[in-house]
This record gives sequence, C-alpha cells and structure tokens, in this order.
Amino acid sequence: MIPLLKRLGLNTYDVDSTSHIQVDTDKCVQCVGKPCTISCPAGTYEASPDGKIIVHYERCLECGGALVICPYGAIKFRFPNGGVKYKYG
Amino acid sequence: MSFDADVIIVGGGLSGLSAGITMAREGLNTILLERGEYSGAKNVSGGRMYIHSLLKLVPDALEKAPLEKPITKETYLMFCENNKKISFSFEEKGKRNSYSVLRAKFDRWLANEAENLGLLISYSTNVYNAYREHEGITLETDKGALKAPIVIDASGVTSVVFRSLGLRNFSPDKWMLGVKEVVKGNGLEREEGEAITVVNAIKGAKGGGFIYTNKDTLSVGFTITFDSIPKSEKPAKDLVEEFREKMGIEGEVLEYSAHAIPYYGYKNLPRLYDKNVIAVGDAAGFLINDGFTIRGMDLAIASGMVAGIAVKKLVESRNYENTEIYYKMLEESFILRHLELAYNRFSVINSSLSLYPDVICKVLSDMFTVSEDRRTLISDALIRLKESGITLGKALDDLRKVVL
Repeated sequence: MIPLLKRLGLNTYDVDSTSHIQVDTDKCVQCVGKPCTISCPAGTYEASPDGKIIVHYERCLECGGALVICPYGAIKFRFPNGGVKYKYG
Repeated sequence: MSFDADVIIVGGGLSGLSAGITMAREGLNTILLERGEYSGAKNVSGGRMYIHSLLKLVPDALEKAPLEKPITKETYLMFCENNKKISFSFEEKGKRNSYSVLRAKFDRWLANEAENLGLLISYSTNVYNAYREHEGITLETDKGALKAPIVIDASGVTSVVFRSLGLRNFSPDKWMLGVKEVVKGNGLEREEGEAITVVNAIKGAKGGGFIYTNKDTLSVGFTITFDSIPKSEKPAKDLVEEFREKMGIEGEVLEYSAHAIPYYGYKNLPRLYDKNVIAVGDAAGFLINDGFTIRGMDLAIASGMVAGIAVKKLVESRNYENTEIYYKMLEESFILRHLELAYNRFSVINSSLSLYPDVICKVLSDMFTVSEDRRTLISDALIRLKESGITLGKALDDLRKVVL
C-alpha cells in the first residue's frame, strides 16, 4: 500500500496562506467516534491526544465531503482559492 | 439596478460549459466563473461518458474531442465469502456509445470550444456565497461581487449557490465518496476499452469499485456512501489502495484524487430551480445507477443545454422568476424520464444489493458440487435465501423491481 502522504505528493497544490477549513474543536472533545478522521480521503482531520481535531488543510483534495461527514456540524468548509490542481481528473 | 451580465454560470465543468455554449450560440450576455486555473483542474470523474449528449452539443466531437477509448467490453465481478467470486463479461466490438475520459483534459478542451464561440470565462474565480438582492442574485467571489438576474448553479454536488440561498440540506446517505487513482498502463493490450464493475470488494462498504481502460492509463476507483465509511473495514484514505491491490493492478500511480458524488435517486432529488436560479448537472443531483449503467456526464451536458434554452426564454420575457419553465423542459427531455425509469433498480441496489452475492455464490457452489445430496436449483435457492434471512416475499419484490 502506497502511504497516503506519498500519494498526495503526486498531486500539484497551490496552498493558500490561511486555512479554508475551520473546526469548532469544543464540539470535537465531546465526539466519541470522530468520523471525520476516517471519512476524509486526504487524512485532513487528525485527532490529538486532548480529543481535539488538528486540520491539515494543505492535504485537502476538495471532494466536498466535509459538508456531510461531521454529525455535529463542527466543520466549516469553503473551497480554497488555490488548492489542488488535477492533471488527469 | 445594473447587472454584470444577463446570466452568470457558476462552474466550468460539463454542465456549466454546455449551458455556456448553448447561450453563446443564442447570443446571450453570459459570464462563466470557474474556480480552477483551467476547466477540469478541480474535476474528478470515474471516467466513462455516454456520448449521445456530447454529440448533440458538439456534433463533430468524435473527430476532435480528447476521448480515451470506446468502451466495448463490460465485465462484472462480485466477491463473496470464503474467496468465492463470480464474474461475467459482455463484449460488443465496434460499439461507439460510451468512452473512457480524463476530465482534466476533456473539460479543458470543451472550455476552449466554448471560448471560441465567444463565451467569457473567468478562471481562478472562487464563488463562496450567494444572496438575493434587487430582484437578482449577488455572488461573492475572491475577486469581488458579481450580480445577475439569473444564475445557473453548475458548481457540482456542493452546489454553492443553492446552498448559500438555504435550498440544500445535505446528508451522508445521499452522497457518495469517490476515490480514484490513475495508473500508468498495464492490461491495455486490448485496442478498445473495457469497463470493470466490482461488487463487494471491501467488506462493510456500501458502494463498489471500477476500472476503466484509457489510452495509456487505467482509471482505478472506489465509491462508497459517506454514511457507510465508518462501517467499512478500511478508512477512506486506504480504500482505493486496498481495491487496487485486491485487483492485482500494479504499475506507477500517477494521481490520487477524490470527489463527492450525488446519490439521491429520482424521488429524493433536491430543489432544481427557484426564483432567479437553476441547478444543472451534479448540483442538481443528476446521477443514474440502474445496475447496468452509471451515468452523470451525459445528464450534465444535457441539463446544461436545457438550462441554456430555458434562460434564453427568461431573458426574452424579462421574467427571471419563472424558472419553472426549466423544470417543464427537463420533464420533456430524457433527463427526468431516465432518472424515473432507473429509480426502482437504484433503490434495490442501495437497499439490498449487498445481501445477494453471498446467496448467489452459495447456490452456484452447490450446483457445481456433486455429492449424493443434490437439490433442484429452485429449492436450493430458497434454502440459501432463508439461511441468509431474506424472505421469499422480499426476494420476489426485489426481483420485480429489478425487472420492471
């Protein structure tokens, strides 16, 4: 299995200077399953030991899934101005 | 009140460009806003287009469009318990009804066609909000605000215009995640293209895998409903790798991509129009899976073309609120008809498809086994169904829905 970060490294990104994703981490502390950590194909959401979520927005593949994966509505997502640039698509 | 154009299209994928081409031909004052640096930069599709709509939009497309291979072989592969699997293929050489495509190439070409017809496309323009103002729609973008009396939302499944206007309520069971890799070619000896549809490749995942052969590459992907990802044996980030390895596909991986797919079905379609706004393509939830065909691109092109004609009527009548005419035209087109036709099979595929492969495998295993115990096919099938907790009534009802 090719590791995720190596696969993401195949793509061209034009990373914005600020994150296009905001997470209300107060809600994450209460969340047990943390579905965002398993549902994002880019591994954008990582649980930290204190139960909060760290956002690696620069990995985002812009699939749009962020709009449906959090049952508590803690993810605020808009598409980045730069972001991923597919060569094949 | 001054507007920036008669109509603004949000999104330069297939549906937006088809609307734009149609309106450019009709001489409408149109602006198209595309988020990517070029059309296709943000697009991902499984990679198979049924070309009947494209040929209506661009009649000589077969000569000039960057299509990959004509798909003339269909293979189905179903995994079951204990390493059993079923496969079958259907081949029709010479058929030219669908082609594998790579959207970054294809959309860029179509955008170029549109620009040659005079369509104004503003690239790298990110629409992130929309609201009603002065009997029109104002769009907020990273390059400033733009206003028009009518807006076509062609922004894909996340439908930014309808969403901003409060006309969308998304849920994880009505969307699928598609993850995909483009792999440098092996298994490409066949001159014409092949589509492989794979069922039950990953346990717990409601969805399936696909492989399409392109000219020099393979498109290898997996789709899964967002609500079933937590129940799948693999997390989203490993799905396509797990699938690729299970299928024994080697070769250099060139790109890893992901995209959400609308998966509503005819009876659950979202709002398709409202005063001053029209949704097309994925933004309208136009996707068909009837077990034989999985289609979105022909519906995107056709709905864009219908929207273009509908908008022309709105502009001529100066009545920008009467967007219901778009819906009436959709009803008369094949689009809503085909969605409705597919709905029975779509609902069976979604609710019970994963129940049957193991039953079928058990029955086939029994039939291919010789011992002193032997049953008729029908009595064996009934016993195996019962063991799997499927009542005869349910099986017959599903069968009826699949056939009718």
